[in-house]
Amino acid sequence: MLSHALEEYPFEACGVLLAAMKDGQHAVRAVRVENRETELPRVRYQIAPEELMGIQREARKQGLEIIGYYHSHPDHPARPSETDRRVAAEGLSDGVFHVVIGVDKGERATPTAWVFRDATQAFAEEPLEID
Amino acid sequence: MAIRVQIPAPLRPLTGGADEVAVDAADLGSLIEALEARHKGLKDRLCDASGNLRSYVRIFVNDEDVRFLQEKATALKAGDVVAIVPAIAGG
Repeated sequence: MLSHALEEYPFEACGVLLAAMKDGQHAVRAVRVENRETELPRVRYQIAPEELMGIQREARKQGLEIIGYYHSHPDHPARPSETDRRVAAEGLSDGVFHVVIGVDKGERATPTAWVFRDATQAFAEEPLEID
Repeated sequence: MAIRVQIPAPLRPLTGGADEVAVDAADLGSLIEALEARHKGLKDRLCDASGNLRSYVRIFVNDEDVRFLQEKATALKAGDVVAIVPAIAGG
């Protein structure tokens, strides 16, 4: 996840976080996904729904499920942007984890973890440990 | 054999935690109505006030995006797998 963010600099990297079903709190795998944003890939990301569906299908076969997503912020803070909040508020995001990775000059990747709640229409920071 | 509907995590509070539900329906529109009858509130998350599928929701029938089929008129048959997938994007 962190190396992916560095490799894609100065563009945003994105991916999917998988956890064991019935656990739901501890991601066991991060799956890289192509950033399908074509107009503003330095400051936006998009995950193709058909790719997400394929990941969901393979994950289920392995007893895993999608619990969240990650994306990078090249030369921007490691916290959800207003765009992230607005898109999450419009979508199916309640309880979904988001890891945001700030990438400073393409050299240093700083991750933070957040969970979105419909009730507050906001992200709340969560503790993050990466093995 | 019914139609299997895969429910993404953010919608599972509406299905009592179930990640998959089985429904009988002849097309996608009636499947959404059947889901709503059993799991109140689901339709509102999938469709806007006009009844059209919301832009942030993608629905696949046997791996085919219904936007490229007949959207809510897409015919369904027993054994089909319907996947509800959120559109993910941000800045």
